[in-house]
Amino acid sequence: MRYWLQRIALAVLLLLSVSILTFGAMNVLGDPLFNILGPVAGDVSNPDSVRLIELAKKEYNLDKPLPVRYGIWLSEFVRGDMGVQFSTDGQPPVTDLIKERIPRSIMLLVMAQLMATLIAIPWALAAASRAERPVDRISTATTFLLVALPNFALAIILKYILGIKLQWLPLTFRAQDPFDSRVWQMVMPALTIALPAAAIYQRLLRTDLITTLQEDFILMARSKGVSRRRVLFRHALRPSLFSFITVVGLNTGALIGGSIVVETVFRIPGLGSSLVEAVLREDFPVVLAIVMIVATAFVMINLLVDVIYSIIDPRVRR
Amino acid sequence: MTDLTADNYPMTDSIEPIAPAAGPGEGASAKKKLGRAFWICIGWLIAIVLLAILAPYLPIKDPRTNFTGKGNVGASKGPSMDHWFGTDKDARDVFSRTLHGARVSLTVGFVAIAFGMIVGGTLGILSGYFRGWWDRVVSFAFIVLLSFPALVLAIMLTALLDRKLFTIALILGVLAVAPVGRLARATTLQYADREFVMAARSLGANHRRIIIRELLPNVVIPMAALGLLGMAVAIVAEGGLAFLGLSVEKGITWGGMIQLGSESSRTLERAPWIAFFPIGVLFLTVFALNFAGDRLRSFFDVKETAL
Repeated sequence: MRYWLQRIALAVLLLLSVSILTFGAMNVLGDPLFNILGPVAGDVSNPDSVRLIELAKKEYNLDKPLPVRYGIWLSEFVRGDMGVQFSTDGQPPVTDLIKERIPRSIMLLVMAQLMATLIAIPWALAAASRAERPVDRISTATTFLLVALPNFALAIILKYILGIKLQWLPLTFRAQDPFDSRVWQMVMPALTIALPAAAIYQRLLRTDLITTLQEDFILMARSKGVSRRRVLFRHALRPSLFSFITVVGLNTGALIGGSIVVETVFRIPGLGSSLVEAVLREDFPVVLAIVMIVATAFVMINLLVDVIYSIIDPRVRR
Repeated sequence: MTDLTADNYPMTDSIEPIAPAAGPGEGASAKKKLGRAFWICIGWLIAIVLLAILAPYLPIKDPRTNFTGKGNVGASKGPSMDHWFGTDKDARDVFSRTLHGARVSLTVGFVAIAFGMIVGGTLGILSGYFRGWWDRVVSFAFIVLLSFPALVLAIMLTALLDRKLFTIALILGVLAVAPVGRLARATTLQYADREFVMAARSLGANHRRIIIRELLPNVVIPMAALGLLGMAVAIVAEGGLAFLGLSVEKGITWGGMIQLGSESSRTLERAPWIAFFPIGVLFLTVFALNFAGDRLRSFFDVKETAL
């Protein structure tokens, strides 16, 4: 219990530092007024512009010192209000924007992880049962190739082959389409994230399976007359699945970064592409909100993986 | 004193007895080989680095000239004897642009990982050696850095700072600090209580001497293997940023070229060479770095868990 309290306290402390750093960096290095008012913000000689600047400063709390502004932002953020966008009209509120876009990003990640798992498990089983034979060598070489391919490059290769040459899958995402065709449009982006992830999972699961297959209980099961297939699925796969779950969980965080590029390539209006747009517009509240959501998700996933792992393997608990 | 470097010392706490005077590197080379594929990768890396350095002096086409022929203004043409990788939609030579693009990618990759190794390595070694509150502060800073996805941090920083070559390289370097630092710290912790360090200390060596003469040689080897992998990561990250339009503003980059060749599916369909040649070169470079780094890591037997 004490251990978990410490872990949670650390997670909260971590998120606070992330938010302070992000908030501080953006307010010290960027000029938010320019994005709200446009060129007027630089026109300090004109009394009309000065009045507008004063008004905007009051409205967006920019006249208060940085720590006070941070305090206001934090108390609103915790209550679920992420503020207004730094644009001329400030509409829609950041919370609404995020609510609209987050389901797409989550769907993309879930689909990608499902695909990666479904590809990796049979692939690893096939490779491990033929360890060090040509099939296994080729599959290991393939994992190397997949991992070395940057996701934007893989996206373009898939677009070219599956979308343009074979015309199996749609090329772009359209937010106004019905749900089932949006799922179909999401297959290629999800595959772009899934293939390199599957390669990583395959490598780990294969190594793990090969070690497990050398254990005595496998020999025992085989000598009792259990078939090869059954030994592979029932006896060898199960113990290896624990570390597999951990890796899949932890890797979710890493995939968030990659999904930003993939969302942009396939024009999916999710969190990642919003982040890129907001960065280019210097729309700080949106950037801050997305960075915080991503960091929170990242920290929570890590915590969750630890919890699940300690349930599976009680030795972790101290 | 000079003979007290780690290489001349047997590691007495490992289970298998190792013959004295056989350091980790020498002992391993007898059993394992780097293999031919490793040297092919190194060969490719040397070639691409040389081509990148010499690009302005080589007898290749100018990367910014529009080679518009008679009649077809601005149309891109497929690979030919004249333009080996074809021309892009502004009729510029893709081969020459790919070589010039290597300059940005490789510089960013190298500067980023050099910065990461120097800063991260120093912080990691110091915190692994001195422990205490300094170690806690540094380790926490590493966790904070690692708690956003690297690309999110890179995107945020490029938005706030300018987009010059050196700034981009430093931003990616900051991202390398935490992973490199953690490896350096973990490796230092492994060695800090070894006999050869104690021996040096009991002979009166000060902290500075112990860190530089005893610890550094042991920490540098695993870091070098990570360095090649890290350079691959930095090159991919720069490509990603360029692809998003957030990398070096003026200049030719692989990511930017790939973006140009794929921004509309019509371009990709009609002139796939614009995107695919830079993709190929980028892929080979990243693959070579990954493969060589991986081989070095298993050659020097760096534990995966330490990463």
